Amino acid sequence: MIIGENIHKSFGDLEVLKGVDLHVQPQEVVVLVGVSGSGKSTLLRCFNFLEMINEGSITIDGKKVDPKKDNLTKIRAEVGMVFQHFNLFPHKTVLENVIEAPITVKKMNKEKAKKLGRELLEKVGLSDKADVYPSKLSGGQKQRVAIARSLAMEPKVMLFDEPTSALDPELVGEVLQVMKQLAEEGMTMVVVTHEMKFAKEVADRIIMIDQGTIIESADPQNFFGNPQHERTRQFIQLVE
Amino acid sequence: MPELLVTVYDVFIRTYPGFLEATLVTLQLTAVGVILGTLIGLVFALMKISGSKILQAIANIYITIIRGTPLIVQIMFLYFGIVEFYTMSNFWAGAIALGVHNGAYIAEIFRGAIQGVDPGQREASMSLGMNRKQTMQRIVFPQALRRSIPPLGNQFIITLKDSSLVYIIGVAEIFSLGNREAAQSYQPFESFLVVGVYYLVLVMIFTLLLRLYENRLDVDKT
Repeated sequence: MIIGENIHKSFGDLEVLKGVDLHVQPQEVVVLVGVSGSGKSTLLRCFNFLEMINEGSITIDGKKVDPKKDNLTKIRAEVGMVFQHFNLFPHKTVLENVIEAPITVKKMNKEKAKKLGRELLEKVGLSDKADVYPSKLSGGQKQRVAIARSLAMEPKVMLFDEPTSALDPELVGEVLQVMKQLAEEGMTMVVVTHEMKFAKEVADRIIMIDQGTIIESADPQNFFGNPQHERTRQFIQLVE
Repeated sequence: MPELLVTVYDVFIRTYPGFLEATLVTLQLTAVGVILGTLIGLVFALMKISGSKILQAIANIYITIIRGTPLIVQIMFLYFGIVEFYTMSNFWAGAIALGVHNGAYIAEIFRGAIQGVDPGQREASMSLGMNRKQTMQRIVFPQALRRSIPPLGNQFIITLKDSSLVYIIGVAEIFSLGNREAAQSYQPFESFLVVGVYYLVLVMIFTLLLRLYENRLDVDKT
């Protein structure tokens, strides 16, 4: 679904990604872990072309993307992204947030979009919040709306950039629950998170990124039970 | 002290019919200055964020010149400048000068408001597949407009007071009437006190209306 090959990304003199290869299969759930500054969020942002890679290639759904020639908006529409700080549109109601892109990008008619929006809000358990503004929601509710908003574009893959890091501890569960449900439905997902319990339960594969390279890639059992790399062992000790 | 109050009251009663007319002129000057200034401000703000070096340079030159010279000089310059080529009433020369002057400040207000919108908003919009134009129109501008209302209100109040400078080209607004009244009556202190009260009351009404409007906008939305 996503093939990243030899991805290099620098910010000025700082090389954040130093040749990353990552293949994400359809319906696979890949969890990216690593200490902060390791480059995991940057990698995720490259997959959505919010950051442009300096070297290497990214193939989405069988199509190699050329950022210079291809219509990036079209590609972004097929790759959903959920942000750490939700980034809901504060001037629009919950339902309007969800139906904004289907209407403006896909030119879906408003009634149909509203129906879709309501279905998605029901899916994330927020039917009763359709007409309120985001400022009235808790962090967990905001993030669930953000997920519904991404799903409204019917993406082929969903990227989650530390979706629970900005939440109070008691609100983390409701967001992870929605993500787990998505995974069970067969959504292809790449998740950057520090929630190791989620990684253990939901991930097909856990990937450890350290200083801009992948140093470990294994299923949860092997990742936690039999890590190959010293840095992975240290990391696991740190988070458990 | 009571004597002073009595003379001020006398001046007020004697002059209010003229002042009401002059107030209308002041309000008209302010309205044109604000509307024209907003339009000019919008255009130059867009030029500044356009990414085109030439447009940015033009906007920067305009803003630098306007902010770097006194309004009264701009009024005189425009008045005599325009009259050279085109016959125009004093009122319109003054009103246009106010608009051109305001445009520079309002451009900076809009630019600040647009750039002040959280970059995450743009990213979220782009990640949903919206293009740059859609992102600006549907996501960034509506939020920027809301943010710019308090500083715009402030600028409107400044315009109202600045309109007094147009007296220099003989527009019959509040200050110019007060000036004449002071000279004719030999009561400058009382006359200018009355002038001050007119501006103060207008500004207070303006402030109140703005606050009501801001409160209405804020309901439910961050």
